[in-house]
Parts: sequence; C-alpha cells; structure tokens
Amino acid sequence: MLISLNWLGNYIDLSDKTGEEIAHALNMLGFEVEAVGETGLPQLEKVVVGQVLSRDRHPNADRLGVCRVTVDETDAPLQNLCGASNYRVGDRVPVALVGSTLPGGHKIDATELRGVKSFGMMCSPLEMGLGEDHEGLLILDGEPEIGTPINRVFPDSDTVFDLEVTPNRPDCLSHLGIGRELAAYFGKELVYPELKTDPGHLPSTGPSALIEGVTVLSPENCPNYIAYSIRGVKIAPSPDWLQGYLRAVDQRPINNVVDITNFVLLELGQPLHAFDANKIGGREIIVRQAQEGETIVTLDNKERILNSDMLVIADAEKPLVVAGVMGSVEAEVDENTVDIVLESAYFNPPNIRKTSRRLGLSSDSSYRFERGVDPNGADFAALRAIDLIMEMAGGERVGPVIQTGAEPAVEREIAISPQYIRNLAGFDFPDGRIREVLRALECAVRERDDHWKVEPPSWRGDLYRPADLAEEFLRLYGSDRIPDAPVAMSGMDHRDAPVASLARQHSRYLANRHFQECINYSLRSEDEISRWFGHLDLDPLRLENPIASDQTHLRVSLIPGLLDALKFNRARDTGLERVFEVGNIFHERERRVYELFSVAFLVFIPDRTTSWKKREAFDFYSAKSIMEVLAKAAGLDIESIGYRTVDGGGSLWLQGHSASVGTLTDDGFEAQIGRLRFKVVKEWDLEGDVLGGSLEILPAKLGEDEGLVTYRPFSQFPPAAKDLALVVDESLLAETVRCQLGKMARQVAGKRFDLEAVSVFDVYKGEGIPKGKKSLAFNLRFRANDRTLTDKEVGEVFSALQDRVEASTPYRIRN
Amino acid sequence: MEDTLKALISEAEEGIPAVRTRPEFEAFKARYVGPHGSLTRAMRGIKQVPREDKPRIGKLLNRTKKRLEEVFEVCLGAIEDGEQAAKWGEAIDPSLPSPDPPPGNLHPLTQVREEINRILKSVGFAVADGPEVDTEYFCFDALNTPEDHPARDEQDTFYLPAQAKFANVNKFSEERYLLRTHTSTVQIRTMLRQRPPVRIISPGRCYRRDTTDATHSASFTQVEGLYVDKGVTVRDLKAVLDFLFKSLFGSDTRSRFRPHFFPYTEPSYEMDASSAHLKKVGKEWVELGGCGMVDPNVFAAVGYDPEVYSGYAFGFGIERCAMILYGIDDIRYFYQNDYRFLRQFGHPVSC
Repeated sequence: MLISLNWLGNYIDLSDKTGEEIAHALNMLGFEVEAVGETGLPQLEKVVVGQVLSRDRHPNADRLGVCRVTVDETDAPLQNLCGASNYRVGDRVPVALVGSTLPGGHKIDATELRGVKSFGMMCSPLEMGLGEDHEGLLILDGEPEIGTPINRVFPDSDTVFDLEVTPNRPDCLSHLGIGRELAAYFGKELVYPELKTDPGHLPSTGPSALIEGVTVLSPENCPNYIAYSIRGVKIAPSPDWLQGYLRAVDQRPINNVVDITNFVLLELGQPLHAFDANKIGGREIIVRQAQEGETIVTLDNKERILNSDMLVIADAEKPLVVAGVMGSVEAEVDENTVDIVLESAYFNPPNIRKTSRRLGLSSDSSYRFERGVDPNGADFAALRAIDLIMEMAGGERVGPVIQTGAEPAVEREIAISPQYIRNLAGFDFPDGRIREVLRALECAVRERDDHWKVEPPSWRGDLYRPADLAEEFLRLYGSDRIPDAPVAMSGMDHRDAPVASLARQHSRYLANRHFQECINYSLRSEDEISRWFGHLDLDPLRLENPIASDQTHLRVSLIPGLLDALKFNRARDTGLERVFEVGNIFHERERRVYELFSVAFLVFIPDRTTSWKKREAFDFYSAKSIMEVLAKAAGLDIESIGYRTVDGGGSLWLQGHSASVGTLTDDGFEAQIGRLRFKVVKEWDLEGDVLGGSLEILPAKLGEDEGLVTYRPFSQFPPAAKDLALVVDESLLAETVRCQLGKMARQVAGKRFDLEAVSVFDVYKGEGIPKGKKSLAFNLRFRANDRTLTDKEVGEVFSALQDRVEASTPYRIRN
Repeated sequence: MEDTLKALISEAEEGIPAVRTRPEFEAFKARYVGPHGSLTRAMRGIKQVPREDKPRIGKLLNRTKKRLEEVFEVCLGAIEDGEQAAKWGEAIDPSLPSPDPPPGNLHPLTQVREEINRILKSVGFAVADGPEVDTEYFCFDALNTPEDHPARDEQDTFYLPAQAKFANVNKFSEERYLLRTHTSTVQIRTMLRQRPPVRIISPGRCYRRDTTDATHSASFTQVEGLYVDKGVTVRDLKAVLDFLFKSLFGSDTRSRFRPHFFPYTEPSYEMDASSAHLKKVGKEWVELGGCGMVDPNVFAAVGYDPEVYSGYAFGFGIERCAMILYGIDDIRYFYQNDYRFLRQFGHPVSC
C-alpha cells in the first residue's frame, strides 16, 4: 500500500524525522517498506533562485552563452556558461551553486570551457528532477525572491512509501492507521480528523431522505448498513490538494464526490459508496444475494455474471453494486449528479473475499472489506465524507440517517499478567513500559496487581489472546532490542529420521563413486509416464490443478529426470556422464498411491569417446556392485530375495541385460539394475549406451531397530578348498545352482566341518559344452573350528558331494 | 688373505652395472660363490690359517659373504625392476589426465541443506521427515490457517483429486490431499507422535503454484526448525538463529527480527541478516525467512498445553540461502543440472 508522507502529516508531526528514519520505523513495526518514491522536487541543497543579468555569446563556442547571474543581491554576480536558448535577461531561474549535487548525483564544480570559466549551473527541469524537458532552462514564474532555496519555491514535494501490510492488519490499510503506528513508535500524538457534524446531534426529522429505506435481506453478509442523503451537490474537479494526495498514491482523480470517498477510504480504511440518488430505481435500496446468472456491468466496463453466493446492493429493479467490491456504470456519480446517497457498511469478510476471487475482481474496497474493516468505523467515515462533500461540493444533508442492522459486537477483554510477557520474551522490562505501549495502541488497560484486563480497540480484531498482546509489546518495544544470548539447550538423545540419514549416505557414496548429484522437478508429463510406465494407473498421480502441461503428474521414477540431465548436458557438451538423484517418487498399486524414497544412478557411455586411454566399460555387474552398497546402507536383504531377470514387458530396461529384485508389497522395496533399452536412449537423443539402477523403498521399511550385534566366534584354522564345474541349462541363474550346491555340500559335510563359502569363479559356453548348456565352475571353501582339515576328510566329503550331484540333480559334473 | 677379500668385494661392487640379465647375474654370482668361486676358494683356505688367526679371519670371511649377498640383492633388484618395467610398457607421463570419470559432487542444494543440518545438529536438533504429499489438515488447519486463507486457494497450492488415495499418508478426516507448501507439516506430524521436548529440523521439498522465473519455482526446498519445551523464549529463538547465521555466513554476521505475520506463530518475525559477505549481494540487510513463537492454536491442535509449554519455529528456503551464499542469480539453475554449474560446488566429502 502507498502512504504519502505529506498526507500522513495531517495526523502526526513527523517534521523532525528523515525519510530514512520513518522507513526504518515502518520496517521495525512490521510494515516492510518495499520502495520509497519521491515526487515533486527532491530536497536540494545549495540550489537557489537566481536572476540573469546579462547574456553574451561565448567567444569560442557559438552555442554557449556567457551570463552574469545574481544569486545574492549583496554579493557580486556569478559568471555562468549556458547551452540553453529559451531565456532572456531578467528571467529568474534555479541556479545550482558550486558544491551542490543535483538529482542523479551530478556534482557542480567550478569549470572552464574553451577558456571561459563558469561558477555554478542554471538548471533545466530535467536536471532538477522535475520532468523530461532538458532543452531549456526552468523559467520561474512570479518573481520569487533572489537567493531563495529552490525547495521553498516548489513546496509540493512528497515522499511515498510502498508498504507491505500483512493480512492481520487491515486497520493499517489507511493513513490514519499507519499514523497511529508511527505515533506509538515515536511516542508522538495522533491527531484524528475533526468532525464538523456532531454525530450525537443529527436531526431525526426534517426534509425526508432521498430514499424510502434500506432493506437488508442477507444480514449475515451485511450486519450493518448506513445510508446518508445529501441534496444539491455540485460535481466538479477536486481542489488541487486533494488531487495531489490522490495522485501521490497512484489514484486517478475523477470528481469531487468520488475523490472524497476514495480519500476517506485511504484516510480511515473504510470504503464508502456514493450513489446518484436519481439512478436508484424505486427510491429503495435492497441488500440481497444476487440471482443465479444475474449480470452487472462494473465500473471497469466489464459485464460480470453473478451467482447466488454474491451479495449485491440493488434498487427495486437491478443490482447497482457488487457489494463491497465494485459499483456499476448504472448508478455512477457523474457530472450531472445533484443528489447523493452515501453508503457506509460492514460486510462479512469471507463473503467479499469469495466474491472477489470468483469474479477475478479486486478493488481497494474489496481488499479492505475482505480483511475486515473497523466494525465500529462506518459512521465516523460517513460523517467525515459528508463534511468534505459539503465543503467542496456544497449541498445539504437531508433526512435522518438510515441504518439497518447494527455495528458488530467487538467487546474483547484479555486477561494477562505482565510476567507472562516477560516469560515469553525471555528478558526483562518494567510493567510501565508494557502499559505505555498498550495505551499508545489505544488499548484500555485495567490493572489489579499482576492481573491485568486489556481491551483492544474495535479495529484490532487480531488481538484476542495474551500471545497477541505479547507480540504487540515486543513489536513496539523493538525486536532489534532482543538481547544477545548463548544457545542454551538440554541434551536430547534423538537421531535423524532414517530417510534423512539414508539419503545422506547414498548421496555421499555415489558422489564418491564419481557420480554427479542432480535434482529434478518431481512433476512430470502424462505423455512421458504413460509411454514408459504404461503398466501403472496414471489417474491417481494426476494433479487437480497443474500449472504447466508438462508438469501434470507426480513422478513415478527418477530415471526420466536423470535422462533429461544427460540429454541436456550432452547437448551442451559439458562432459557429464555419471549422474544420480535422491528423492521421493510415487507408485500406484491397486489405485492407492505410495510415496517412496528413491535413489537412482545412470552412466552414459557415448559411442564416441574422446579419452586418450581406453577403459573397460561400466557394465551390468558394475551397476550390481553399486546397488549392493545402496541396499546395504538401507538395511535391505537383496541376497536372500535374489535378482530375477527382466523378462520384457518393462519398458525402460533391456531384456537379458537387466534385473530386478524385491516387490513393494512383499518386501517394501524394489530395485532395478542394468542397461536401458535403445528406444529409451534414442528418445533422449543420447548416442551411446546407458546403464544404471534405481532403488525404491517404503519409508516405513527403514529404521527398523536391528538391535545390538552379537559377535560370533570364528575359526583360527586354515581352510581347505575344492573346485567343481557343473554343466547346467544355460537359462538357469548361477545363483540358483550355487545355492543348491551349497545346500548339498552342507548336508554332506554334516557336523564334521563347515562349508564356509561357495563362489562362482568361471562361466563357460562353447567347445566341449553341449548346445543350450553352460559350465559353471564353483570354488568351495571348507573350514573346521577346532583343527586343520586333512586332505582325506575333505576328499571324502567332496567325493560324496559329487555323487550326490550326479544322483539328485540334472547337472553333469565336468571333468 | 685380508687383502684378497677386500679386493674381492671391490671387484664385485665395480661389476654391478655390467650385470643386466638373469644369466649374467648367475654367472656373476658363480664367480664368487659358485663351486670355483673366489669366495668359495677363500673359505676353503681357512684350513691353512694359523690357529690363533682363525677367529679373526672367520669373521672377515663372514662379513665378506654378507657384503656379497648385498651386492647380489642390488643386482637382482635392478634386473627385476627392468623386467617389470618392460612388462608394463612405456614409462608413464604423469601429466596425462586419468581416463576415469572426474570426481562426483553433491548438488549445491544438498550441500547447503547438509551444512544447515550440521550446524543445527551441533546444538541438539535432529532431522525429522514427512511426506511431500500431505493433507489440508496437516498443511493448514493444524497450523491455524483458516479455510478461506489465500494460501489455501487453488491458485496457490497444488491439490490432488478428491478421490485420490494415498496408502502411506494418513488423513485427519475427509480433507483433500495436496503437495505441501512448507515442511511445517512435519512439525505437526512429529508433535502428534511425541510429547515435548521436541527439537527437530525438517528439510524437504515444497510446492507452490508459482510460474517459474528467475526468482520463483513451483518446486523448492525448505528447512524448518521447531523447539518446544518448558520455558522456551523469544530470546532463545534469536540466540539459535544468530548462531546459525554466524556459522553459515561468517562470524561477523548480525541478524535482525522484523515483526511480521504468520498464522502459525505469535509473535511472528521475518529474519534479516547482514555481513560483509552478504553485502556483496548488494544489500545491507538480506531477508532470509520467517520465525516466531508457536501459536497457542497450533499447540491446541496437537494437544500440547500452552500454559505449560512454549516453543519457537523458524523456516527458510534453501535455494534462497544458496543463492545468497554463492551469489547465484537464477533459481532455475538448481533444477537444470548443467554440469558447468553443478561442478562449481565441489566438496562431496566435507559436508
């Protein structure tokens, strides 16, 4: 909101404060100053009225004049060079003396131009900051006295503050409201505008009002409606001072009556509406809900279609005003208006807000009504406007005031003790200071020892609890005076949420494995999701009100975003090839959505590399090794669940070169690793291969307390190793065979000694192996807890194992 | 005898450079310790040495033998080095770059988030977590934000369809799901779960229905702090934020509270900071975020007695913080993933 310093001067004397001090005060009161504007002539030092005594041509420059100018009648005239041509000897002009600074930082020094000296400068309007004209000098009318500081010749300069007023403070959407705050802050007196009409002595009889009456059909939306009648006004432009005030705060002057209603709105915060009485059909005002589909052409010349939630001020025939929002062209005060009905009302804030939103129409009036105007302020504002109308537009008030409803009740008494405020603040100040602040804000304070009863004024609907008063006190006491203190806290044994620490571990690990962390938006397009995750039901992932067509759905995977990152960097040739992201994704299962923690990584292997040395490429097993670490950090048991190969159907991962493990419903997590399909890689314009992995975990799965680890003793004796190669179906997973072999070996060894490990050390297909088969070679490591194993006992077990394999499996032992 | 042995050693030492291959080495060795080697012969000669000289000569022979073994070791080492180097091909050029990928980095937003976490953890906060899709109750109602508050409007907040069902995000009653507009939702969920004292920070993604430009993003990251206990004061709030900002922006940092309004705190403040570093951004005071004392209505919603407990809360944008810290002028860079941007923030391990 714009606040004019000149205007403010009507209610508080701020002449001893600089603009900067006032701006600081406003900031510290909670009204953030977003901009400070100067209008009119800025304050200029050493710029005075001078008179041109003579004008000669510069001997060496045709365009320049050499003038003698007097700026002090008791002193010698100054020599001045001037490039303008619009002035004559005898004219009075502003002269910037040596040592002055003009707007824009232009410093005036004694200078010399082509051999002629110049002391000071005669100024154009532009140089003075008074307009665009820079061709000629500013010729001063009315013979102002020579030597007068220029600001005295142009007294109408003003400072305008653009303030952010928070939604809890509608009382400060006015000059008086801001004046009250500054008065309390600076400890100054606040001067209310004086009413000429004594509200206590209004006639109840006399010439009748201009309307028969006001009927309020929606008292819940309009608790209080006041109408005054004024007859015989003369519509004309407003006086200069009023136009000046309005222009300073970016309002366009229209005519005296409309300007006065706007002035009072900006002075007191109470919106008013002036009707041309002769345009009120049936001499009757009806405050009612609009009919469904009823239309009105508002003052901005737009037809508005109303609905029954909206309140209108109507006459007997038609709606005249969207209540509290905007009037219509129909009942506008214009140059022919002579009789006026002035409305001052209190409307239900949520209703006005809803109407304003629905119509997409916000006005100074709706802005205030929807935040809540002073429930007791309607009459004062109306009388203030009547005073001004009679003063500027003539006319006389006729008939009794017509009031329908009553001022909403605002009595609030807050019980509070000064100690409560000190306790919340955490530092000390005397009771007297609290009392002073509350009273400066026009709260009534009644004290009995430590038990205070505080009654805030009617316009402070935001004050109803002790905490609210504590805030008021600290605000005026000065939040910049909160004393410094050390951080003092008791110890708490609590740890980070499992998701947070897992995210930290994952991202550090991947960054240390040479992956660059990326962050993508988590909203993606429907096209993309349906194309690559077609098996999911998209509907539960759709936003009700997306803002961009490519950000309509919650992401289901981190992979597309990472592909975006690779594509973007490829296009810009930045050399980025390894990326990862940690973030939340969303999965749908049976039309219910799960929010999941996810980590994904990708490695791009371009077709053409530029490295001077060839390296073995990142492959499936590299991805597997990374996933092993990620899963381990999350406490997931991938090994016991076991990978399955991706068998087509999936649309990102290449069949035969990718694998997945876990299911959301059974295991609380899922993971995929492997090579992305060419189709995917192509879609993202990547020429090469992309491998990677993605892990998705139900957050609740994390942080299950594993308890303390109990140490298991381990053997101090050497192991004995045996190798065994099996010929098996090529479609079999090595892990399946390995597990089976391990199980049999343990059975055969029985309690004699342990099979410590079975591991694959060779996979072979080709010569010597039948088609459709492969050879898997295993290394078996045996160990006993209490002795060094002998060849004999190991040999026995090993040969028994071979017999068992031959007898009970389809595998053949390869020799 | 003595002279013979001395000559033998110096001869062997002088012979080292000439021994380049294993056969040469064997021959070289045989010359001294082979069956006809000179040392072997000398050893045999001990029999002729007079009895009283034997201990001295014996010692001398041993020393000579030891010295010869050292010479052989040197020869063999040089041969092995040569063989090994030959096996590995040409000598390296230490100035050539490694063909392996360059070091990875954490995203600057992660780094700033972790730095804030680190600082606040050092004074006893722990990180709490909650869902990004939350409900109107946890995002607004429980935070004293009335039904008709502008922030709740569909203009400003992303909603999910009324029929949407989230399996692992519980509702309070029949309210709608939305994308959280702040991580204060985590505060509510935490307070509903545990009794005071509560001392948490909640970093995370938030969403506002803003059109993306240089300073706005529909998706952004926030960190919020909450401390509820007996006797928590405004002064404590100021103290913890002073500590945070000094740690983050340098020990010369001053901070300032400006009164403001938030539905969930009373009193409420906007917090500004000022430091030599921040002045480079061009302003005396830089606005960082909001804070205040937890509103009694919020306590009522989570069943804490405002007569017994008080608390403070604060929150600010991590993007904004990072922009100020690093002098970044466009918020979109954080989500563009341009490596030339990301790799400028390279401290993957330290934070």
